[in-house]
Amino acid sequence: MIFQDFVFYSLASVVIISALGVITLRNPVYSVLLLVLAFVTSSGLWLLLEAEFLAIALVVVYVGAVMVLFLFVVMMLDINLDQMREGFWKWFPFGAILAFIMTVEMSMVLMSKQFSSEIIQTPEYKSVDYSNTKELGRLIYTEYVYVFELAAVILLVAMVAAIAITLRHRTDKKSSNASRQIAVSRNERLKVISMPAEKKE
Amino acid sequence: MDSFQPLFEQLFGSEWGVPLFLLAKNLLLILAIIIPLLLAVAYLTFAERKIIAFMQVRVGPNRVTFFGIPWLGGWGQPIADAVKAIMKEIIIPTGANKFLFLLAPILAITPALAAWAVVPFSPELVLADINAALLYILAMTSLGVYGVIIAGWASNSKYAFLGAMRSAAQVISYELAMGFALVCVLMMSSSLNLGDIVAGQQGGSFLNWYMIPLFPMFLVYFISGVAETNRLPFDVAEGESEIVAGFHVDYSGMAFTIFFLAEYANMILVATLTSIMFLGGWLPPVDIAPFNLIPSIVWLLLKIAIMLFFFLWFRATFPRYRYDQIMRLGWKVFIPITLIWIVLLGAVMQLPEAALQSFPLNLWF
Amino acid sequence: MLDTMLGNYFPILLFILVGLLVGTLCLVAGWLLAPNKPDAEKLSTYECGFGAFEDARMKFDVRYYLIAILFILFDLEIAFLFPWAVALKEVGLFGFVAMLVFLGLLVVGFIYEWAKGALEWD
Repeated sequence: MIFQDFVFYSLASVVIISALGVITLRNPVYSVLLLVLAFVTSSGLWLLLEAEFLAIALVVVYVGAVMVLFLFVVMMLDINLDQMREGFWKWFPFGAILAFIMTVEMSMVLMSKQFSSEIIQTPEYKSVDYSNTKELGRLIYTEYVYVFELAAVILLVAMVAAIAITLRHRTDKKSSNASRQIAVSRNERLKVISMPAEKKE
Repeated sequence: MDSFQPLFEQLFGSEWGVPLFLLAKNLLLILAIIIPLLLAVAYLTFAERKIIAFMQVRVGPNRVTFFGIPWLGGWGQPIADAVKAIMKEIIIPTGANKFLFLLAPILAITPALAAWAVVPFSPELVLADINAALLYILAMTSLGVYGVIIAGWASNSKYAFLGAMRSAAQVISYELAMGFALVCVLMMSSSLNLGDIVAGQQGGSFLNWYMIPLFPMFLVYFISGVAETNRLPFDVAEGESEIVAGFHVDYSGMAFTIFFLAEYANMILVATLTSIMFLGGWLPPVDIAPFNLIPSIVWLLLKIAIMLFFFLWFRATFPRYRYDQIMRLGWKVFIPITLIWIVLLGAVMQLPEAALQSFPLNLWF
Repeated sequence: MLDTMLGNYFPILLFILVGLLVGTLCLVAGWLLAPNKPDAEKLSTYECGFGAFEDARMKFDVRYYLIAILFILFDLEIAFLFPWAVALKEVGLFGFVAMLVFLGLLVVGFIYEWAKGALEWD
């Protein structure tokens, strides 16, 4: 399995380098594109762990949807870089403390027993006809059904919140209602009136 | 092909021989897909010009020929176009971001080609027979939007920017309808593998094809496919009469040609997937003597050609949609239809086994 | 190694690399074979013959962000629907009802959007 190790280390180094690029580059568009690269390569890492469905779903959801929104935001909000850099040193201690707490928390989780190599074994190589998606389907909708419904509630809250935050109606709009235009009947547009012919003088 | 493996092991030793052999074999297979695909793209442009010319009572391209043979008039046109495209200067506007400007066409063509890795051409003929094939294709088509957005932004031109924004919002809207329509296909087939999806439509005649029980989904999928590829009547991203050429207005020469290639490769991909998922793929319409003797790949190619003809026919027939109408069709018509169909189909599938085995449900379940 | 599930992904990795290469090679071919004689007029941004007045990268209608956010939410929904559709014959009526509840909640959100006019494009 030398080849697999080779793939793992090359993907992992791409992830680390692009993640470093995300936080160090000045142009936010480059940062977003590098984040896309990081997501795509980490989906390769998940694939190496035989998590087929999750790996491709990562590309569909994060790269195909979330990062498109990010790209929209950084491309079109014309962020003023100098203004953003102004308060950097003022806020630095605060950020550093946050980063420190997060690192401690993450290492506490990762170093706990649940993630030790005795509990999580190296996945064995599955045969060709093994469908990861079907296995997930069997579990999510039976054993983990409450968590699944909770996900629906969270999505619903997100939907309502997104509309509440971004929806603004313009008052000066002059748009036409397409449904109304299609549903129009002949009688609304055309009026046949009878006009008796006038006598010729 | 596998008979060459010992030769490789002899040449490079047993440690390096096998991986090198696999690499060489897969590279050859990939070329065996990409080269016919690019040729098909070239001749699709020719077919487009000829067919639309016939529909408009014109002649179409009829001059460029091979070796001066008169009855091949016009058939050399795609080759001449390709040579012309390579010889044209690639202009990079001063205000543009050079790196992203050149990266955008590459990002457009890569997913358009890579999606073909999992497409089966006959029961045995498939490069990567993965189980999550359909999901992989959904992932690749969702990556296509990056080429457009980056091209529009990197050009630093107002037309390009407007075209990119319109295109991005349109593509992501129709991707939803497409995804929901695919869910219906999955419910019928219980598998994400494209070969299994075709196998699920076996059963004797065209009545077994998913087109019949999923007819509204078939329409939704194909129309969404037309919208995804930014073809007429959904081509407001290019809309030459209002925003000149949209996101690729500042592209020229080979950089422009790559966008063009990507668009047509995507068209062929949508036509192929429609044939595989709804029209029985390589299965003959009736499984009796004269039809099932014809090789299966001929049926697949025939179905693809018919779907491509619809693309061209749409272009010759329909005027361009207005942008608000496009968004309305995607969000307010297609998504409700697909949601209702998913629930209906799921309910039918909960019927007792005896009911599912009776006519006409036994054709599909 | 090639008969495992993972081995099937090797051609895909290769195909993506070849796809990147095709795009790059085309650009390189164009760069090598085509003439390159830039001048100020030729390189100016195309804007109907005038010089561009301002940077083209401007603030944009918030509606596009809303569409992108709604797209993310519905895309997640599709990601949940895919394994369900594949396993529907095995999870049976229970799984079907579970998905009905899930879809029901999201349809409530969809109706809210519709009623609020978030899907209107004016």
